[in-house]
Amino acid sequence: MSRFYKVEEVAKLFGVKGEVIFNFVRREWIRPCAHATQEFDSEDIARVKLILELIEDFGVNDESVPIILHLIDQLHSLHLEIKNLR
Amino acid sequence: MASFDPYGILGVASTATQDEIKSAYRKLAKKLHPDLNPGNKKAEAQFKDVNKAYDAIGTPEARAKFDRGETPEQQEEAFRNRRSGPFYQETQSGPGARYSTSFEGFDPSMFESLFGEELYRGRRRSSRGDDQYYSMEIDFNTSVLGGEKEITLPSGSKMRVKIPPGIREGQKLRLAGKGGPGTAKGGSPGDVYVEIRITPSDLFRRVGQDLEIDFPLTISEAILGAELKVPTVDGQVLVKFPKGLNSGARVRIKGKGISSGNGRGDQFAVIKIVMPPKIDPKLEKFFSEWATESPYNPRTGWEK
Repeated sequence: MSRFYKVEEVAKLFGVKGEVIFNFVRREWIRPCAHATQEFDSEDIARVKLILELIEDFGVNDESVPIILHLIDQLHSLHLEIKNLR
Repeated sequence: MASFDPYGILGVASTATQDEIKSAYRKLAKKLHPDLNPGNKKAEAQFKDVNKAYDAIGTPEARAKFDRGETPEQQEEAFRNRRSGPFYQETQSGPGARYSTSFEGFDPSMFESLFGEELYRGRRRSSRGDDQYYSMEIDFNTSVLGGEKEITLPSGSKMRVKIPPGIREGQKLRLAGKGGPGTAKGGSPGDVYVEIRITPSDLFRRVGQDLEIDFPLTISEAILGAELKVPTVDGQVLVKFPKGLNSGARVRIKGKGISSGNGRGDQFAVIKIVMPPKIDPKLEKFFSEWATESPYNPRTGWEK
């Protein structure tokens, strides 16, 4: 899955409106891999999926999403560091 | 698979209400979500079971189907379709992961304090090369239009950096594998991060994907309308200004803004009416006559 996706395609993939995805970008929860053209790679898309799960399945509110994302990123980066140390 | 028991997996009675099922699912999913338990295979497998169970009885329709005895194969299909694609953590477990390698706030000293500086630096150096950080100043036009710039590394070697159009102040460009060389047992080289600084423009202001420029008009241009050259990042363009523009009016110049996924933003000329340097007797005479003939009040509603 190395191709890039436009915002509209990502929205269709998850069955949500384009504005929802635009909103994620505007709030800087997602930083699209190709910033200028706002195109998403698989990493961005997996992150969209995570955010949608947080909001829709877990009932996380908009204020808490960035905190959770930050902690998750930190968790993953620590995992990477530990892997590098091995 | 005859023993597939979504009620048991979610820990609810078969008489539970939809709300009870939902809250039981949320409780379990929050605890077991793979992103909150990276590397924990057991939690991941449990999470999948919980989702499968929730798909089976999470909505009244699905639950009715399940209670009528739909086959587990179809249930499994439903889970795969619900939300496809890898879990976020699966994309963040390699060295190429953008979000977890470049998120702000990561401080390697955290590891030094955990493992001791010597151990941490020593072990780290033994595999992957160091990441290197630079900053680069670009002019405003390049930030809008994109371009290429050469940077000289401390080692003396030069590197061409491609700047995408619409880049923002403080954004970091990552040049994968251009950092310090990997040492020992085939360690991969580190990355170079170039932080962008933008020299502000005297003329243009960035507002989202649009640009703004203050544009002065003489009183006669404002009254009669005019066709005038306006600077844009692509050079001067001829713009028609209609008669009767007010100070603060915004005249759109299409497609001269910042590139985004939906083409380019626009530029706006924000009108500023400028008086002549000297009010001569002729002008004064004309306006005193005109004002008595055709008075108007731009402050209606302010009396009281």
